[in-house]
Amino acid sequence: MRVHALRVVTVLAILVAWELTVRAGLADPLFVPEPTAVVRVLGAVTRAALGSFAETLGKVAVAYGLSVVLGVGLGVILGSARAMRDVLNPFVVLLYGLPKILVLPWIILLMGTGAAPAVLYGTLHGFFPVLLLVMGSVRDIDPTLVVVARAFGATAGQIYLRVILPAIVPAVLGGMRLGIVFALLGVLIVEMFSGIRGIGFLLGAYANSFQAAELFAATLLVSSVSMGIVLVLDSMTGRLSRWR
Amino acid sequence: MSAHGVGVARVALVVAVLGFWEALAQLGSPLLYVPPSRALPALARLVSLQSFPGLPEHLWVTLGEIGLAYALAVGMGIATGFVLGLWPFIGRTYAPLLGVAYAVPSVVWYPSLMLLFGLGAASKIAFGALLGFYPMVVAVLAGIEQVNPHLVTVARAFGAGRTAIFVRIMLPAMLSTLVSGLRAGLALSVVGVIVGEVLGSKAGLGYLINYAYGLLRTADYVALVILTVVVVVAIDGLAGLIERRSRRWV
Repeated sequence: MRVHALRVVTVLAILVAWELTVRAGLADPLFVPEPTAVVRVLGAVTRAALGSFAETLGKVAVAYGLSVVLGVGLGVILGSARAMRDVLNPFVVLLYGLPKILVLPWIILLMGTGAAPAVLYGTLHGFFPVLLLVMGSVRDIDPTLVVVARAFGATAGQIYLRVILPAIVPAVLGGMRLGIVFALLGVLIVEMFSGIRGIGFLLGAYANSFQAAELFAATLLVSSVSMGIVLVLDSMTGRLSRWR
Repeated sequence: MSAHGVGVARVALVVAVLGFWEALAQLGSPLLYVPPSRALPALARLVSLQSFPGLPEHLWVTLGEIGLAYALAVGMGIATGFVLGLWPFIGRTYAPLLGVAYAVPSVVWYPSLMLLFGLGAASKIAFGALLGFYPMVVAVLAGIEQVNPHLVTVARAFGAGRTAIFVRIMLPAMLSTLVSGLRAGLALSVVGVIVGEVLGSKAGLGYLINYAYGLLRTADYVALVILTVVVVVAIDGLAGLIERRSRRWV
């Protein structure tokens, strides 16, 4: 409780110090708007951003769905097929680590500036954490579980459904938690790079036109929405782990 | 599959992908799908400085930004990590705030950094530092968790001072985790700088990539991407080498 209060007090103290610094003329409000100025434009920015949010979140939803489905599917395949995993693993790790923005100009060139490149690029970001976690978790399943199930006459389908699926639930949930932030990251990058709509474009446009207060307000909105999504996902995963 | 078989399969896969790409480019447009047969000559022109005579300067800009961003990330990350880890009250209070900030995709902060630091190197350095900062803090916190408190108690009982405990007991116990964090932080600082450069800059490899793409010089663009990948892989390889060295030293 005390910890919580201290946290709130610290954040408030920083905001007040920030406000006073700008008011005293120590920082240029053209670049660093005072918190009260941000609050003043928050309402207007929220109204202006609603359509962009809907657009961006729609792309993120598709990219995220694809990331989870592809990540879990390929993760189960690569996790259970040892030979395939041995061959592909270094490529997967390499592709995961490389800055994906290098292929972004090419994606835009091929697909234009609509929703498709954002979905593809968001999937490219969200897919890898799910794949790597699921692959590792399938690989590490206790083999005796599978052997015993087979000895008792379980079919391959039953083994996947009754043994492997419950065992990988934590990995899938962990991947889904990481994946949503990455999918959002990918979509925002595309919108900043070349989008003509969406919240990433809006952020970039405010920055380019030196609308600092509007930019900070929009940044606050996007980060709040992102935190909100993660919190909802966390509570859902908590419930799902209990089901297991 | 034997180790030899795995190696053969990997090579075969790469050859198959390149062959497929070549065929695709012949069927489609070689301008859009730059095939290996066009990418390699472009790479040769790039490396011999025919495509972009200013390439070495741009390469230096990028490497300099990465170096500064990483130094900032390491310095701030380690300092923050120790403050949060060594004073449990501060850690309990403020570490969750960092965790919450991490639930936001990092690129959200980039337009604000552009506004604050301009289109030049400073905004890329700030973004690379921001990305590398978090894994450093996490590594320090995890490292402090790994220190065996009994060892600290025993050392204190035998009269060891704060510095001795820190250098002789805490650091060796933390080293392995710290080194992993240093490597993860480096990888993210590299990504941050390159993302920043591509999103908007005046110099650097990311700038050249955007420039080549803007002029539809796709073969040069692919050559630049290959060069950047080589740079990134080389930086990570170097870090991996140092990581293995330091583990042996412990």
